[in-house]
Amino acid sequence: MANGAIDHIVSLIILMAAISIFIGLYSQNMQTGLTYERHNALSTKTSDLLDNMLLNPGIPSTWGQGDGVIVGFGLQDPVYAEYELSPFSCMRLTSTQSPVYYPRTGAYYSNESAGFGSYLLAPTAKCVNYSSVSKILGVNGTYGFQLTLTPTITVSIQEKSMSPLQLSVTVDGTGYPLANAPISYSLILVNQNANTYPSYTILNGVSTTDAAGAAQLSFSQVTSETQSYALIVYSYLDGLKGIGYCVHDSPNLAKTVVPLVDSFQNNSILLVHGNTIGQQVSGYSQLCYNASFFLLADDYTLRQVVLDSQTSSGKLISGGGVGQDYVSLTLPNNDGILVVTYKDGSGNYGVVLMPWGLGTLAFPLTFGGNPVGQEWVTTDIRQVTIGSIAYHAQLSLWNQGVS
Amino acid sequence: MIRTIEVLFAIIIIAGAVIATSYFTVLPSPTEVSPINLRRLSFTTLQTLDSSYDLSQAAFETDNATAWGRLQVALSASLPPDVVYNLTVYDVNDQNGEVYNYVTSVSNTASLSTTTDVSTYTVASSNVTFNVTPEKIGQSNGGTLYLLNCSDANGWWITGYTAQTLAQDLYNLLSPYFVNTIMIQNTSQLAQILSGTPLQGEPLRNAVIINTYGEAVPIPSSYCQTPYSQNNYDYYSYYLGQKVYLYNWTWSSIVGYPFYYVSNTVALSSGQNSWGIYGMQMTGPGGSRAFLEGINNQAYVSNTNAVTDSANRQVTFTSYVANQTNYYGIYPSTYQTSTRALSNSTLAGYNLKVGLNVFNPSDPNQDYLAGAIYNHYATGSSNITGSLLALGLTRTPDVRITGLSLLSYYQPRLYASEYTAQGNSRLVILQLGTVGSG
Repeated sequence: MANGAIDHIVSLIILMAAISIFIGLYSQNMQTGLTYERHNALSTKTSDLLDNMLLNPGIPSTWGQGDGVIVGFGLQDPVYAEYELSPFSCMRLTSTQSPVYYPRTGAYYSNESAGFGSYLLAPTAKCVNYSSVSKILGVNGTYGFQLTLTPTITVSIQEKSMSPLQLSVTVDGTGYPLANAPISYSLILVNQNANTYPSYTILNGVSTTDAAGAAQLSFSQVTSETQSYALIVYSYLDGLKGIGYCVHDSPNLAKTVVPLVDSFQNNSILLVHGNTIGQQVSGYSQLCYNASFFLLADDYTLRQVVLDSQTSSGKLISGGGVGQDYVSLTLPNNDGILVVTYKDGSGNYGVVLMPWGLGTLAFPLTFGGNPVGQEWVTTDIRQVTIGSIAYHAQLSLWNQGVS
Repeated sequence: MIRTIEVLFAIIIIAGAVIATSYFTVLPSPTEVSPINLRRLSFTTLQTLDSSYDLSQAAFETDNATAWGRLQVALSASLPPDVVYNLTVYDVNDQNGEVYNYVTSVSNTASLSTTTDVSTYTVASSNVTFNVTPEKIGQSNGGTLYLLNCSDANGWWITGYTAQTLAQDLYNLLSPYFVNTIMIQNTSQLAQILSGTPLQGEPLRNAVIINTYGEAVPIPSSYCQTPYSQNNYDYYSYYLGQKVYLYNWTWSSIVGYPFYYVSNTVALSSGQNSWGIYGMQMTGPGGSRAFLEGINNQAYVSNTNAVTDSANRQVTFTSYVANQTNYYGIYPSTYQTSTRALSNSTLAGYNLKVGLNVFNPSDPNQDYLAGAIYNHYATGSSNITGSLLALGLTRTPDVRITGLSLLSYYQPRLYASEYTAQGNSRLVILQLGTVGSG
């Protein structure tokens, strides 16, 4: 009788223990399956959300060329269809880089600049930020996202020698060099003469990359390191178009001119003495500038658009209490490139470029939250064009509140 | 003891069930759980490659090694490094037999992984001609387009052009849409149709007349006398208004202030428009007022009050007209400058109602319209008795806006020819796969 009871008890304990273990095993399987399902749904959402951003122009459709609030978010160029993005709408997105403060206007500027000699600083108050876009898209509190626009073609330029100037141009795609591709270039060479406001000469030319996507350019007109220039290079192959640039200033030049976007709606920018923005520098300094605006023509050359002669050249004076340290310029409606040549009081010359429209200098952009540390991040990618320049638009999405 | 053994047996059975279930429950790999949407990536890649029609060209030049070499480089360069591809071209056959016939393919991998997806893209040969047959305006009741092309008159505010070149451009643009398109070669022919006699047997009623002379209107020599010369020839404009009313014409003013001058290089040869253009007489604002009185079939009274405030305004096409640009393939700039926008309320006083707004109103009261087609309705009538297209834009004129305005108003349909030519379309299939996926 006692043996039977013990047998009952032992067998029951063993059975309960085994069932507990098996339930644990089953629930682990089920939990993993549910997690995978959730991740799969997140992937579908990523694709939908990315198309939603890229295939509608937003409301109002021309919000990229306005300063007001937006009701609907979308980056498609209202003039075109499919995956052609508006260069101006992209320019109004707040960058993830640290903003720059300009005391004269008391405003912060979203920093979308990319590399030496070029600036794209847009007023944060007139840009569209991550929080408002999340709300407009209806993902606020449920999903976090980061949108990255990266040029498909990278055009890198390196100086090989200075006398005469020889440059090595390398054109790479995301997965392969752009071999045997035509390139078209424009060298903006600052004329270092008696002109108060530095003029320039444009030298155009064409070449072709080799099997490794490289090309060598030589300019006999440049023979000294003190000569200032900017080189803009376009490369194109079967619908893929890319652009790159490099800027060279006189080595002793310590000052710079900084263009700031003032109003998207009025196409106005501020040209600012570099001493008065960011880390400010005291003391008297004068810069004489000459601003020009260029469009990219169908033959991949630069076509100049005349700016207001009252403000397209002048002086920017910092310190000393005389003169103005910034000036307002109005640009055309079209996307293009602002080129500012300038010189300081010691005869050192420099050039600054600013894209008017994100694609014109192939600036990359990162907009949105930070995916680092999120439990599961899905990404999706599309090929798009911004002002005919090929880009990859990549969206990273994650569940918010899950970490 | 026997129960313990039974339990052990039960545990073995359950364990077997768990193992069997686990064996069949194969969870997908992470790349399959959250894959890149290869179908959309493939489609957008094909679109990018064809943005300059290079893909279309290559698809029809499969023997051109250079073109295909470039295409392969562009494909490899545009895709992420972990994506492999296979691009295949098929000929589309609409005759008997297979619909899709393999032509060629290129790939950068020996075999694609299991995670692949495809997109298709149809390209057309550059040799293809598409025919479009437009519907004729007023096919059953009129359908005549008159273009003023008078050799004995001068224009104003058409600087840089001549009336003759503008008339030719309008002929090229609009003649497919009308049953009869007639160039009025001199003011005598103008006098003939004003007297009710067709030039080539064409219907006079419901015709469209386009004045290519800008702010000036050609005047026949026989009208350069009383009563038409009253008040600086205002009365001639009144007479034109009456004819527009009588024949239900649509009078089109392509630029500036309508009826501001009259011109005849013979009869008015000694006169000039105060700006040094001879053969012209300024009627001023009274010309427009007189025309409005004429179209409203009321008695002529000299009235020199302006119908425009001459303010400088930037205007844009209405969304309806902007949409029509794609339908008719006419693309003038959306942004225009208006300095002679007509007052809608003033024209309403002459029983004119807006039939088509070409531009969005830009003044605060939305009264001044930079471009519109006004229809005249006699008091108590629902029938249109004459219309006026007034484009109050600043000089010089863009006649594409005139064409677009008239087409947007009359809305003739376009019948595209069916595209059935053999061997003129090819199907491009781009299959993408990810490296390393299961």
